[in-house]
Amino acid sequence: MTETVSMPANLPAPASGARKTDWMGQTMQKRIASRYAAERRFKFMGLAAVVLSSLFLAFLLFVMVGNGAKGFITTEATLTVDMPAATGSISAEQLTGPRLSATIASIDVRRIYDNAVQAQYGKDGSRFFASTAWTALRAQLTENPDLILGKAKFWLPTSSDIDRAAKDTSTPEAEADYAQLRQAGEVRQTLNWNFLTGSDGTDPAQVGIWGSLKGSLITMVVTLFLAFPVGVLAAVYLEEYAAKNRLTDLIEVSINNLAAVPSIIFGLLGLAVFLQFFAMPRSAAIVGGLTLALMTMPVIVIASRNAIKAVPPSIREAAMGVGASPIQVVFHHVLPLAIPGIMTGTIIGMARALGETAPLLMIGMRAFTTTPPDGFTDPATVLPVQIFLWSDEVNRGFVEKTSAAIIVLLVFLLTMNAVAVYLRNRFETRW
Amino acid sequence: MIRKLAFACLPALLLAGCQDPASTNQGSSRSEIRIVGSSTVFPFAKKVAEEFVNFDPERRSPILESTGTGGGVELFCSGVGANTPDIVNASRRIKKSEFERCLANGVDDVIEIIIGFDGIALAQSKNGPKISLTVDEFYTALAAQPFGKGPNRAIRWPDINPALPDTRINIFGPPSTSGTRDALEEIIMEKGCKSDPAVAALSDSDKERFEEVCHSVRTDQAYTDTGENDNLIVQKLSTNPDAVGIFSYSYLADNADTVRGVPINGVEPTYATIESGEYPGARTLYIYVKQKHVDVIPGLREYLAEFMRGGEHDGYLTRIGLIAAPDKMRSEMLGRIKTLSTLDGAALK
Repeated sequence: MTETVSMPANLPAPASGARKTDWMGQTMQKRIASRYAAERRFKFMGLAAVVLSSLFLAFLLFVMVGNGAKGFITTEATLTVDMPAATGSISAEQLTGPRLSATIASIDVRRIYDNAVQAQYGKDGSRFFASTAWTALRAQLTENPDLILGKAKFWLPTSSDIDRAAKDTSTPEAEADYAQLRQAGEVRQTLNWNFLTGSDGTDPAQVGIWGSLKGSLITMVVTLFLAFPVGVLAAVYLEEYAAKNRLTDLIEVSINNLAAVPSIIFGLLGLAVFLQFFAMPRSAAIVGGLTLALMTMPVIVIASRNAIKAVPPSIREAAMGVGASPIQVVFHHVLPLAIPGIMTGTIIGMARALGETAPLLMIGMRAFTTTPPDGFTDPATVLPVQIFLWSDEVNRGFVEKTSAAIIVLLVFLLTMNAVAVYLRNRFETRW
Repeated sequence: MIRKLAFACLPALLLAGCQDPASTNQGSSRSEIRIVGSSTVFPFAKKVAEEFVNFDPERRSPILESTGTGGGVELFCSGVGANTPDIVNASRRIKKSEFERCLANGVDDVIEIIIGFDGIALAQSKNGPKISLTVDEFYTALAAQPFGKGPNRAIRWPDINPALPDTRINIFGPPSTSGTRDALEEIIMEKGCKSDPAVAALSDSDKERFEEVCHSVRTDQAYTDTGENDNLIVQKLSTNPDAVGIFSYSYLADNADTVRGVPINGVEPTYATIESGEYPGARTLYIYVKQKHVDVIPGLREYLAEFMRGGEHDGYLTRIGLIAAPDKMRSEMLGRIKTLSTLDGAALK
C-alpha cells in the first residue's frame, strides 16, 4: 500500500462544470487505500477458506489413518498342539490327495483346541484367545496338513481386549494378561490378513471386510452396467434426435428434478417396486444395484447432455457434409468428443452411489451374514453399510475396525476414480 | 473405439434383461436361512449363525436382520415360500392377533421354541447417583396416567418418593414395535399397576381401561424412545449420568464396565436372580420356525440344534448374557425340534 498513484501528465481537460479530481488529495488517497484493503481482505478470506477446508481434510485423514492403521494389525499368541496325541494316529497317506479333506473333517479341531488351551494357559485360558480362534487353527491345518503329523506351535489371534492392550490401553485384567504373555515371549503383532479376506462376525478380533467389499463391487457392477448405457442413450436421444417441444422440456425438467431427489426416496421406491411388486430377493446385491442405478442415471443423463451440447456444431455439419448418416455422425464424431465429459459425470454418479447407505438399509442390505456373496442374487452388504453397522457396536474393538473399513472404502473410491480418469484420458480426442 | 464401447454395453443390456427372471427363479428355492426379528435376540442369533458356519465352512451363512419383534413377525407371517423369512426371533410370545394374520396368509405350521430367558434390566451410568426403585415407583414414573388418576406430572424422582435422588426423571427405552417394550408393559408395569386394588379389579371388569391405565407409557420428555438399538441406550447412559435406561440383560452383562443395574424391589438384575425368577423383569425368549421350510431350506434343522447347543447351561450364549432354560424345558424343546410339532393357536392370548 505504499505505492502512490501518479497522475497521468496529459490528462484531458475536464469538461466544463465538472470539478477536477484531486488524485493526491487526502480523501482520494483514503478511498484508494480502502479499495486496496478490500482487495487484500478478499484474498485473505479466499485463502483462509482453502486452508480451512484442507485442514478439515487433513484432520479427517489423520484421524482415520491414525485409528484405522491399527485395524490392519493383529495380535497373536502361541498355542502348542501335540497333534498325534490329540488325534490318535493319522498316517501320512491319509493326508494325500482326495482323502485329505475327509481326514481334516474327521478331526474335532474345536475339542483339540480347547484341550490345548487348558493345558498351556490353565483352566480359564480361553480368555487369551479370540472366541472363535479354533477356526484359525483349522485354517492353518488345512493349509499345511503336514502339521497334523507332529507337535507344532500355532500363532492364533488373541482376544480383542488383549489386542487393545497390545496397541494402547485396555481393561486392567487384559493388561496383566498381555504383560504375562509378553514376558513369556508368546505374543507378536502381525499384519491382519484376515481383515482383508474375512467377513463380518461377532468378535472384533476376527472380523473382515472382504464380504462387504465384494458386495460393493457386485452392486457397483450392476449399477454401472445399467445406469451408464441407459443414461448415455437417453442423453444422445434427447440431444440429437428428440424434437424440441413441450414434451421434451417436461422430460428434461423431470430428469433434473430426479437428480435432486434425496436418496432415501429411491430406497423406498426400490422396496416398493423391486421387492414388493417384482418379488425379488431381499438383501440381494442386484436389488441394491438396481436401486442405485435409478439414483445414478439422472446424474449421467445431465452430464452427458452437457458434454454432447459442448461438441461444436461445425463437427456435425462437416460430417453431414461428407455424407455421414445421423447415426454415423453421433457414433463417429459426437460421442468420441463427448466421452471425457460423460466419464466425468459417470465418476461423480458412481462415487455417490458407492458411498450411499440409506436406500440400501430400506431394501434389507444391512443383514448380518458371514458368507461373502458369490453372485448378483446372493444376500450382500456394502462397505458404507458395514461401516455404519460396526460404528454402532459397543465393543471397543470395533472402533479401529470401523476406521480401517473407512480406509478401505476411501482406497476403493480412489481406485475407481483413477481407473475412470485413466480411461477418460485415453479416449480423449482433441480438435 | 466406439465399437469397443458398444460391445461393452451389450452385455450390460443383456444382463439387465436376464437378471430379473433369474432372480425370480431364485425365489423358489434358497440356499441360506433367512432370519428376522427382535433386537434382543439378535446378538444371540448372530453368535449362533457364526458358530453354524464355523462348524462346517461349506455351509452358507444365515441372513439375519434386526427388525424388532413386531416388524419381524409381520414379515414372517406374510406367507410361505422362499421370499419370506424362515425364522422370526421374538422377545415375547407371538400374539393371537399376529397368529391369526399368519393363518390368513397360509402360515399355519409354526413351531415355537423357547431358547432361554432374559431380564428387562433397568440400568444407569456408573457415574450417576445410585438409585433403587420398587415396581410401583417405576410404574408411577413411566405411566402416561398413573393408576388412572390423570396425566403424569412427576418431573423429578422426589415427586414420586422423597427418598429418591433429586434428579430429573429421564428414561431411555425401546419403541412400541419392540418386544422389549411389550415385555416392559406386561411384566414390570402391570405388576406396579396392580398394586392399587382398584386398578387390579379393573382387569376383570373393564379390560380396555385396564390396559390403557397399565400399558401406556408417557410421551413427554421424561421418556425417550431410542429406536431398535439397545447399544444406543448404553451409549446415551454413559453421557447422561442421571438417566435410567431400559434394555435387555445381555447388554447390561456386556457393558458392566460402564453401566450398573438398578435394583427393582431391592433385587439386582443378575444371572442368578433372573434364572430363579426373583427379579421382577424376567421374560422368555422365543424363536418361531415354519415347519414347511424345514428340509426345504438346507441346514434349518442344524441351525436349530446349534441354537439349543449354544443355550446350554455353560454354552457360549450364556457367556454373552442369555439365561439358560431349565433342563426339563430344554428337553421338551429338543423334542419339538425333532418331531417338528407345531403351535396350537388356542393357547395364545
